[in-house]
Amino acid sequence: MASTKIRSLLKLGAIAGPRVLLRNQYKCSKPFCTPAFLSQHSRKLSTDVAVKEDAAVAQLSEFGQYVASILPKYIQQAQMTQTNELELLIAPEGIIPVLTFLKDHTNAQYKSLADQTAVDKLGKPYRFEIVYNLLSLRYNSRIRVKTYTDELTAIDSADPVFKISNWYEREIWDMYGVFFADHPDLRRILTDYGFEGHPFRKDFPLTGYVEVRYDDELKRVVCEPIEMAQEFRRFDFQTPWENFPEHRPEIEAVQQQLLKGDKPEKS
Amino acid sequence: MASTYVKRSTALVGLAVSKAPREALTKLYKETLEVLGSMPKSAQYRIHTEQITKQRLGLVEQESDVPTLEKKLGAGQIEEVIKQAEDEFSLAKKMQEWQPWEPLQNPPPADQWKWP
Repeated sequence: MASTKIRSLLKLGAIAGPRVLLRNQYKCSKPFCTPAFLSQHSRKLSTDVAVKEDAAVAQLSEFGQYVASILPKYIQQAQMTQTNELELLIAPEGIIPVLTFLKDHTNAQYKSLADQTAVDKLGKPYRFEIVYNLLSLRYNSRIRVKTYTDELTAIDSADPVFKISNWYEREIWDMYGVFFADHPDLRRILTDYGFEGHPFRKDFPLTGYVEVRYDDELKRVVCEPIEMAQEFRRFDFQTPWENFPEHRPEIEAVQQQLLKGDKPEKS
Repeated sequence: MASTYVKRSTALVGLAVSKAPREALTKLYKETLEVLGSMPKSAQYRIHTEQITKQRLGLVEQESDVPTLEKKLGAGQIEEVIKQAEDEFSLAKKMQEWQPWEPLQNPPPADQWKWP
């Protein structure tokens, strides 16, 4: 790729791109979408045709390009999801600049942080994804900002920009153990007093580590390590079915070709 | 100035009626343009924000009647427009410090954004 900026712009069309291309191909071959025409094709392609590219979606993807061109230092990728929502994937050091820009810029005005949460993605280089959902009341539009961190890397708190993230970040700290630097009051918020561990982590056991019961002799509730009737068994959860047939390496290679504008070998 | 124009309230909590909206806006826009002027000419932020600010400044200078001006600006009441101008001004000052027009600082680790 020539430059990072061009790359980030190219990737914007990561999902919308092939669809546009596919649609244009159909337009050349057959001008009208008849039911018979739809049934000739495999399920994947027919749904692609059925999805309309309406003006709002085009505007949203244009706005994604606009933001990516203004903040190339922090935005690694801007993309439209399958459900036509705009996502900005940013580097962790860009949280404050990107959120401030989205909040204060005249063409954005995302004044409301609707939700902030984390996702535990075990196996990724950085296991936690932090997700910010923003809402612009002025333009009736939503945007999602995603970044990443791990257990040891502190991440900038969004508190100076959105006051609500004070509580959201306490929730994330409680449930996932992500540490937020410069947070005014980072304490547990959901779990019980004296709770240990972060329950939403993928490696936190479903049963937890302790159990509480009322002790008749002591006349109080006691907290003890759990005792399982059966010894822990490791099951093989690998499914015999293919879960993501659309994400086989060979199919993704064809999509990359479509993005670049080359003719695919097979379609 | 339309001397008969008396506005009691913006009907928005915490947003007081501005006594001299045009003067406030002109001052804010000029300050913003000054801050933008110190950014590199190729910066997309400078290009786009200058365009917005100049367009709004032009309208504010042309139109002296506030309700008509609000209609022409098309961004809500004049007090909201002032709030937007204040935000943009504070953002411009911060942008000057962050310099976000530089090329990508940290590329993502491989497979970080790959799905599934």
